[in-house]
Amino acid sequence: MNTETDNNEMDQDIIAFKIISNVGMAKSLTMEALYAAKEGNYELAQEKLSESKQHFKLGHKIHSKLIQMEASGEKVHPSIILMHAEDQMMSAETISELVKEMIEMYKKINK
Amino acid sequence: MKTIMLVCAAGMSTSLLVTKMKKAAEGKGVDADIFAIPASEMSSVLENKNVDAVLLGPQVMYMKKQLEAELSIKNIPIEAINVQDYGMMNGEKVLEQAFSLIK
Repeated sequence: MNTETDNNEMDQDIIAFKIISNVGMAKSLTMEALYAAKEGNYELAQEKLSESKQHFKLGHKIHSKLIQMEASGEKVHPSIILMHAEDQMMSAETISELVKEMIEMYKKINK
Repeated sequence: MKTIMLVCAAGMSTSLLVTKMKKAAEGKGVDADIFAIPASEMSSVLENKNVDAVLLGPQVMYMKKQLEAELSIKNIPIEAINVQDYGMMNGEKVLEQAFSLIK
């Protein structure tokens, strides 16, 4: 049993979880922004969107560690949890882009 | 024995947390049934199981209001998992959070 490999894998799992928790928050905050806009509370919607962006940036920052590791020749262990992190990150980004437009739509609908 | 249900997007990220929480519960000599499910399965699970507390992963935290409506009828407390504890997969802290909800 190679403990160094195990430690590495465990570190990479933690990295995956940190990504998931941050982009997960980003996604939830984006949805909360949308719900706020639905109620006509556009100021709150903007606040939630800003908060969401912070979490998303942090998730991306952590994710780039993995990209750097791979680029420098260090092995990145493929795992389902890492795939999940990637998926959550990209869908959070997609949702965020759509929600921004939907908030504009609510502004028009609520008039 | 207390039953704690964790809800997340696919039930994936919460499963490691469940393992850690079970370990923490063992360490404290506490008897608890802890499991994780995807949000889509919540209603059907609640039909068949008595749950004492529901904890939400960050990705589904925004669903709290809708889920609260369903859960308040059964008097089941629900809260978003503390984001720092979740990111660090801190089983002990999340277990504490769950038990603080069960009063």
